[in-house]
Amino acid sequence: MGNRLLSFLMASVALGGLAEAKTVIHVMHQGDPGWVSTYGEVAKRFEAANPDVDVELIYAPHDAYNEKFSAAVMSKQLPDVMELDAPFLANYVWSGYLQPIKPLIDKDILDDMTESNIAQGTYPVDKELYAVGLTDSSVVLYGNRKYLEAIGARIPKGVDDAWTREEFEDYLEKLSKLEGVKWPIDTFRGYGIKTEWITYAYGPILQSAGCDLIDRKAWKSVGTLDSDACVDALTMMQKWVKNGWVVPQSSGTNQFFAEGHPAALALGGHWFYAEAAASMKDDIVVMPLPTFGPKGASPNGTWIWGITTASEHPDVAGRFVSFMLKDKALRDYAREDSAYPGLKSFAADSPLYANGGPMAVSFEQASKTAVARPPHPAYPIITSAFMGAVDEIFNGGDVKAALTAAAEKIDEDIEENDGYPPFGEQQ
Amino acid sequence: MSDLAIPTLQSEAQRERSAIGSLRLVQTACILVIALVIVSPLFMLLIASLKDDRFQILADMGSFRAFWVSNPTLSNFAEVSNLSGELAFGRYLLNSLFILGCTVGAGLIVNSMAGFVLAWGTLRGRAVVLSLVIALYVIPQESIIMPLVIMMSRAGMTDTFAVQIVPWIASPLYIFLFYQFFAQLPKELFEAAEMDGASVFRIYRSIFLPLSLPALATVSILMGIESWNQYLWPTLVTQTDHARPIAVAIATFFGQDSIYWDRAMAASVLMMIPILALYLAFQRWFVSSFVGSAVKG
Repeated sequence: MGNRLLSFLMASVALGGLAEAKTVIHVMHQGDPGWVSTYGEVAKRFEAANPDVDVELIYAPHDAYNEKFSAAVMSKQLPDVMELDAPFLANYVWSGYLQPIKPLIDKDILDDMTESNIAQGTYPVDKELYAVGLTDSSVVLYGNRKYLEAIGARIPKGVDDAWTREEFEDYLEKLSKLEGVKWPIDTFRGYGIKTEWITYAYGPILQSAGCDLIDRKAWKSVGTLDSDACVDALTMMQKWVKNGWVVPQSSGTNQFFAEGHPAALALGGHWFYAEAAASMKDDIVVMPLPTFGPKGASPNGTWIWGITTASEHPDVAGRFVSFMLKDKALRDYAREDSAYPGLKSFAADSPLYANGGPMAVSFEQASKTAVARPPHPAYPIITSAFMGAVDEIFNGGDVKAALTAAAEKIDEDIEENDGYPPFGEQQ
Repeated sequence: MSDLAIPTLQSEAQRERSAIGSLRLVQTACILVIALVIVSPLFMLLIASLKDDRFQILADMGSFRAFWVSNPTLSNFAEVSNLSGELAFGRYLLNSLFILGCTVGAGLIVNSMAGFVLAWGTLRGRAVVLSLVIALYVIPQESIIMPLVIMMSRAGMTDTFAVQIVPWIASPLYIFLFYQFFAQLPKELFEAAEMDGASVFRIYRSIFLPLSLPALATVSILMGIESWNQYLWPTLVTQTDHARPIAVAIATFFGQDSIYWDRAMAASVLMMIPILALYLAFQRWFVSSFVGSAVKG
């Protein structure tokens, strides 16, 4: 009896030891219900393929993601793997939260990345890759074929053929007088200022008009964001709003393919295509973003995956990220969601974005006009100051005053942080 | 003269009555309009939860169509209820109920005891403590939330039910509410019980607490609503579905690119039911508490 008890205890200890030997990695992510359940399934498949590993998923709601991240930092509970919004990468690397990811990711994934994907995951100071994603993103100009034909608008065939500012404003005016059109354009003001939308989608309008949110060499915003070109660009946008050409924020985010199609154009993300096309069929036209000045510009960057410096198992974390990016079911779901390819193999498997595909023009923008958001550690303050200014301008505020206040706020933050060394010096 | 005077007086009284009647009519109409304005968002929520097209819900929002559904369906409720795994709605609902029950239960005991001691205790410097309690009330929750996160993390309490209950049990507002209620009760009650040899705790438990039903109901409802609607705090201090409440689960429907209004609305309706039940259960005492406070000035 005593021997049996001893054997039982030893077996229990051994089993307990085995259970403890499992490596646990924490993965923090956001996403809607479809993505949440897809990540859950991927984690299960990874655990089945790696019985010695437990993956604990930490979901953080999209609109409270930054607060959740701050809480994780303060309580020293950073996960091993984290999903992050690409423009915040510089801030996270500068703060010491992310580690170079190249040595941890399968080589075939690294070789498979598109240039834009490499750019969104690279920290410009040391040129190291810190994050990788299956996807990237872009914004295009959607049009309602019937309305465009009614006003005799020219339909651009590619990026080089984009509408000029004059053409665009002329069409807006004509559309505003067309029967059936309540608003000439939906710029998705309904996304509000809690998301990255304003900086992401409207920033390229400034760049196309010949200015920027910040000077990318001197890293000063005063003199750039409040320059004549930026004031002119935002005065132009304010005019669209004042004229009643833009869908107001209170009308939500779908007036383009809502019942009766009250909006004729939509300055919308690539993710908008699947639902819009399903609703509008052949009436949908996908066009490049108009050129508002000396050059064309379009946004890029999305949520990508990094491995934190707090990870005690970076090799396992890297294995998980590689596994996830190759996972067939995840890719299938991403494709159904009209996800924008960030890996060449995924692009080859995405007829939507291939040459001749309905969204080919957006993929063309990635190589010809995409401008990343400022890859600077001060990005969080750059985006919040800019979004506040645009919101004020759209609500009738003085353009020059709003932009100057935003530019000063950005410069103050950079000065308070001594230029975020060594960032400023090495640029 | 008198023959003439009587009909005049009568007609004056009639006119007065009719004026009062018209005034009441206007008052009633105003109350109805205000009630309609207050109830309309809830009504819109309910109607939206019965629509099967999330884009239609969005398109309808700015018009009167938001208050009408031509083909009502319960499919959104079915979808929400059928979610499983990390999105299991039932699990989150039970978590929320458990957190609410514990917070309110413990909150009633702790806050009423503190209020009683401040009103009738023999502690020296009660007035200073009371001033401190009132002063604490003006500190916004947001300003202490990050230090609190660090404290809870160091105490090893993250991702537990306790971390969502313990910090919110004691509240300056509810201590003050109980203090005010207890302080208004007659001094003779306390003295008589004291002369009978009852301890302070006995006086609190057997005499003052049973008399404070309106205060208990008020605090239950206010505390329940506060606990039920907590969103940022549980988001910061919990990691998994193990202890997360329903408010965090509903946030899943508000994605980066899309908002699933249909399911969000159905989930919100389901989320509303328990708190509405709590209110209805305690409504009588809740109202009488407010009426009492008003009368006593």
